[in-house]
Amino acid sequence: MFVAPHLVILTLFMIVPTGYAVYDSLFTSKLVGGTRFSGLANYRTVLSSHEFWDGVWRVLLFAVVQVPLTIAIAFFFAAVFDAGVVRFGRFFRTVFFIPFAVPGVVAAVMWSFLLLPGFGPYSKALKSLGFGHVDFFSSKLILPTIVLIVIWEWTGYNMTILYASLKSIPRDVTEAAVIDGAPLRTIILRMKLPMVRPTIVMLVFINMVGALQLFTEPSILSAFQPQAVSYGFTPTLYVYNTAVGSGEYNLGAAAAVVLALIIGLVSLGAFAVRRRNGEFR
Amino acid sequence: MKRSTSTPSAPPKPPKPRPDDGAVPVRLYGLRRGTTTLLTLVCAGFAVFILAPLVWLLINATKTQAGVYAGPGFWFSKPFRLFQNLADLGKDISGAGVYLHWMQNTLVYAVAGAIGATALSALAGYGFSRFRFRGANSLFYLVMATLLVPITALALPLFLVYAKVGLVNSIWGMILPSMVSPVGIYLMRTFIDASVPQDMIAAARIDGAGELRIFFRIALPLCLPGLVTVLLLSVVAIWNNYFLPLIIFSRNDLYPLTVGLSSLSQAAETGTQAQLVPVLIAGGLVTVVPLIVLFLFLERYFRGGALRGSLTG
Repeated sequence: MFVAPHLVILTLFMIVPTGYAVYDSLFTSKLVGGTRFSGLANYRTVLSSHEFWDGVWRVLLFAVVQVPLTIAIAFFFAAVFDAGVVRFGRFFRTVFFIPFAVPGVVAAVMWSFLLLPGFGPYSKALKSLGFGHVDFFSSKLILPTIVLIVIWEWTGYNMTILYASLKSIPRDVTEAAVIDGAPLRTIILRMKLPMVRPTIVMLVFINMVGALQLFTEPSILSAFQPQAVSYGFTPTLYVYNTAVGSGEYNLGAAAAVVLALIIGLVSLGAFAVRRRNGEFR
Repeated sequence: MKRSTSTPSAPPKPPKPRPDDGAVPVRLYGLRRGTTTLLTLVCAGFAVFILAPLVWLLINATKTQAGVYAGPGFWFSKPFRLFQNLADLGKDISGAGVYLHWMQNTLVYAVAGAIGATALSALAGYGFSRFRFRGANSLFYLVMATLLVPITALALPLFLVYAKVGLVNSIWGMILPSMVSPVGIYLMRTFIDASVPQDMIAAARIDGAGELRIFFRIALPLCLPGLVTVLLLSVVAIWNNYFLPLIIFSRNDLYPLTVGLSSLSQAAETGTQAQLVPVLIAGGLVTVVPLIVLFLFLERYFRGGALRGSLTG
């Protein structure tokens, strides 16, 4: 009885649409000839599309770089704050968490202005430091630039979770290690890191799923530098541009289903790892 | 994972609370003097990295378009135009829509959606926590499995259904799906498990209280901190949501802030109107400030949520 209202909304706004998307993806609409059943043709189009696969590989590459980097930085700060070896730790923790409250759109707009080739303060600073003209939006640097923005947005969130996890390690465990004369680095890397491993696995999973859905940042950047972000820069952009941009809704639905399946596979992988370790209840 | 570790309302407090209560005294680590200073400097460096864009936003909201591009990025330049830029937020200067409308929309979506999400989560969390009905476990796993469904993969299907049933350009199309919050249910369930004693409910039943009465009079007051956490996390999630409203709204007077700002930034970058960029920046500032203020004041609830979110599978 208490669960029912949620289930109704869940069914209407998640399960029905998903089913409808799968159904819709099996049809093709043409200006001439109307809508007709076309079986898996849309899936063939998506799966044989270079644009789509380029996007998939790009976000995978992005995830492989961004996720470990974000979590490593987050763990470093979480461990340092947990040990209490910096001054003003509390203040820093609050500051680092602030970007969590900043919408991705605003973050991307701010960073676009800061990095704007020729005009942005950061580009200017690099120039005056003798790095010459650095174009953060060039096809070579666009992905690292997005990594930078996403690190800015999400490190604090990851840090907060890791910090809470580190804090739950009993004090006497740390004390015993200290009495044994273990240096701080050893305590953090050899003792605490393995103890928060379940949290790290979970964070890898959350960050991975987020990275695979990358959309906001590249779509905002594309307004500043249209040539840097292509039609299918990420799979989600492909879905958006196909469905909303070109009005090919059936094809877009097929792409969305494929994307959901890819993300589902990654999630299942993470799930399997956790199961094997007996970490999922 | 131990569920018992997650009672944020009552952390064990040492007799004399210090900044980092419960930590092993720093001097025991035998660090060299310089190490602490060095680490503090590293933290300060990262803090600058985090704060710089926000400071930039604040400073540049006071400038003219020429000032944004020409002057020093991190210092003020004349003329001081903050109030004029803010006033422009109430006008449709770009042809893309009025910022103030977007602000109202975001408020409506965030408040309605978050209250709905909190109510549904509390009900469902209570149901899962207190009733052992048939299929309860598999149902719970089903609800948790929706965590894995990417919102970006769901937005287009939602739009397709809306197109069929006429929910395109309806605020309910935005509010109702925002009420689905598996994290909220998980948080409420663990919270109720931890803070509502089963005995108390049993006693109330014996006294003849109805189930709804028990829920409203006993369970809800006891899990108030949990409710606030879920409410805040939902507000942030809806406030920051971009993809769903982008897909389902085609009328710019329905846009929330995120989509509005993005269309404004498109107009500012591709258009020729000289006054758009400072308005975009001022708009960004006004978007960010309420959430940061909310967050600074109610920080502990966010932390509680983050901590408990960490236990979610």
